[in-house]
Amino acid sequence: MKGGHFITVAGFTAVAILRICFACYAVAADSSARQPDGARGAVIAAQGVGTGVPACAQCHAFNGGSDGTGAFPRIAGQPVQYLVAQLRDFASGVRSNAVMSPVAKALSSDDLAEVAAYYANTSAPFLPLKAADQTLVKRGEQLATFGDESKQLQSCNNCHGPGGAGEPPTIPYLAGQYAHYTAFELQMWKRGYRKNSPEAMLQIAKKLDDRDIQAVAAYFQQVLGSSQAATMTKE
Amino acid sequence: MAERLKPVDVVTIGVGLTGSLSALELARTGLKVVGLERGAARFTVPDFQSPAIHDELRFSIRKGMMQDNVKEAVTFRNSSDETALPIRRWESFLPGTGLGGAFVHWNGQTFRFQIADFIYKTHIEQRYGKEILDPELTIQDWGVTYAELEPHYDRFEYLCGVSGKAGNIKGQIQPGGNPLEAPRAREYPTPPMKEPYFAALFRKGAESLGYHPYPQPSSNLSQPYTNTEGLRLEQCVFCGFCERYACEHYAKASPQTIVLPKLLAMPNYELRTNCQVLRINLDSTGKMATGVTYADGSGREFEQPAQLVLITAFPLNNVRMLLLSGIGKPYDPKTREGVVGRNYSYQTTGGPTVFMDESININPFMASGANGTMIDDFSGDNFDHGPLGFIGGQYVGAIMTNGRPIEFHPTPPETPKWGLKWKQAVAAHYNHTILIQQHGTSTASRLNYLDLDPTYKDAWGLPLLRMTFDFPENDIRMSQYIADRVVEIGRAMGGKTVVRGGTRRPYTTTAYQSTHNAGGAVMGDDPKTSVVNRYLQCWDVPNVFSIGGSAIPQNGAYNYTGTIGALTYWALDAIKNQYLKSPGPLVHA
Repeated sequence: MKGGHFITVAGFTAVAILRICFACYAVAADSSARQPDGARGAVIAAQGVGTGVPACAQCHAFNGGSDGTGAFPRIAGQPVQYLVAQLRDFASGVRSNAVMSPVAKALSSDDLAEVAAYYANTSAPFLPLKAADQTLVKRGEQLATFGDESKQLQSCNNCHGPGGAGEPPTIPYLAGQYAHYTAFELQMWKRGYRKNSPEAMLQIAKKLDDRDIQAVAAYFQQVLGSSQAATMTKE
Repeated sequence: MAERLKPVDVVTIGVGLTGSLSALELARTGLKVVGLERGAARFTVPDFQSPAIHDELRFSIRKGMMQDNVKEAVTFRNSSDETALPIRRWESFLPGTGLGGAFVHWNGQTFRFQIADFIYKTHIEQRYGKEILDPELTIQDWGVTYAELEPHYDRFEYLCGVSGKAGNIKGQIQPGGNPLEAPRAREYPTPPMKEPYFAALFRKGAESLGYHPYPQPSSNLSQPYTNTEGLRLEQCVFCGFCERYACEHYAKASPQTIVLPKLLAMPNYELRTNCQVLRINLDSTGKMATGVTYADGSGREFEQPAQLVLITAFPLNNVRMLLLSGIGKPYDPKTREGVVGRNYSYQTTGGPTVFMDESININPFMASGANGTMIDDFSGDNFDHGPLGFIGGQYVGAIMTNGRPIEFHPTPPETPKWGLKWKQAVAAHYNHTILIQQHGTSTASRLNYLDLDPTYKDAWGLPLLRMTFDFPENDIRMSQYIADRVVEIGRAMGGKTVVRGGTRRPYTTTAYQSTHNAGGAVMGDDPKTSVVNRYLQCWDVPNVFSIGGSAIPQNGAYNYTGTIGALTYWALDAIKNQYLKSPGPLVHA
């Protein structure tokens, strides 16, 4: 994606010349609603809202990097539209999680937009993490980059971008995401608990066996930041 | 001297749509089948994956998936008193090469022809009398009817998983579909694609004028589908890289997604890539093929003996293979005798550009190859031609296949062709412009034909195919009449500026029009006016079948892939159930 020749919109590639057009469109589409600036979102992230919405930072950290357990996803800098969609899906039950569902339900529509806007604009360092088995990472790289013809399985990067960099506004980055989280979500799709993206992620997850899931998760975790950590761990 | 290989039962020349479908059918009967493909092997994984597949310069501009015209070009001229020159860069039409052929880089627009198309001469003369026909026109019946092909259309559509809405099921008109279509046995395998905004605007405009809009049938699927071979297709993601590209998402029907995994798993099928077939060999009587001679990638020649030879190349190359092999009498435009190369026809395309207000956002980059809304009110013989003085017609639709940066930059007519003003116009109109397609018939004429070029040769020293073609005046009158009707639709859609379309003479090969090159080895009931019989079997050499678009006697209004699929299954049905039981001519002239 170097050089900015393309922007991608929900997997749709467009020329840079469109940036202006699309920006106009986005503004026009949202002009009826108040523009979230993320400032109030930061307060919600730090302190929560009244009852029912604890501080997001408790799990995701104030910078959106979460912690090294991988129990909570890294959300720093994810596209705002993606974050809003996930919160709405948690609220509606299309996506289900014992912690996130009640939180998302308790958020007002405005607060939801605010907190999404806040985390979309944060950046967080990549924590030093234990290196995964290199054979597993290699298999993950193969699936991420090329897919697997024997399973009629396309590459992850077709939609998630080169190296899993993300394809805003709807497709999240996977680069540097915690392996534990990525693997868990793929299992949720595969087993039918996660119901958003039935046309794409459900179909793909069904073609992945448990080792494939471990492999892609391990690969994407080490794409950003963790390679240095991996070397350090070895030494 | 060519090395003689172990004999096999069947050879297919080309492994694209017709070659892979035919091979699977025949391999299932237990025959030993060899597929000879001139291009390279290629598969969804790893060859079609992103980001490499979204290389517009490589695939759209430099025609990365097309026949290598450094090795094998086509020469072209408008009329037989001119000297033909080789087409050095494909623009007007794009013959594919490589495993899967043109069925890899197609757009997925999957239609059936009309009932009248198959009995065209009979139908036109009955309805209008012979007087409506210009004297140079050479239309004829196909020798097969729509009713005979219907089950094969159905089978092919369920193989591809076509997304669409039926308009006529067994004579019952279906709301939401095309009420003017020929009756089909059942609904499409998958529901139609979602209607984009530009298509919704077309629907509104067309409806306000009393026309009958319907969703274009698409082989880029609206939802995941398991096909009749048990192979899985995924849902299209509207990436906007369909025509001229291969699909990375397993969402477009192609040999790679719908046939090859089954075929390549069969022990009695062998695929050989980078094998250029030079000729079909005949025995001393000239009435029986003994096999083929081909050259591999290093130039070594091999003779592959076979009981049955299927020519399953791109339509133009089917004709060339017959000419190079001396099968059938070449057409002579002076005496009007001979058949091979006769009735080459093309298609009339090119509709208006509709410039909308800047408040209307089209987002053309969210596109799929066959995702639009269209009308058949001016298609084929769906309207009364009596007072108009021409035959044929066009479908009309808002079908926008891409918003790719190099190819898509519509600007109004007064715009300079380069510089700051051009750039400003591109930025102003990119997201607010709708292209409408006129896509229709091209009538066969005694003046248009294919033969071998007397001067230019390919990389193997064999004469190139020579194309002599211009649109018959009939087609120009037809296209110009419809162009006026479509301008009315553009205005009804709210277009601020509508730039009129329509086909004009002379035909030129330097702008893209259509890859539906048809005819040249046409089917029929009379050996004097056809190369192959109704089962696509060569009249002169009964163990050679020429399968594909080359059999179409004159082109219909529609993209012909669906019809080629149906014809292939129809021919294979006859081969399996009649020919293999008793090899020999299936029709006695």
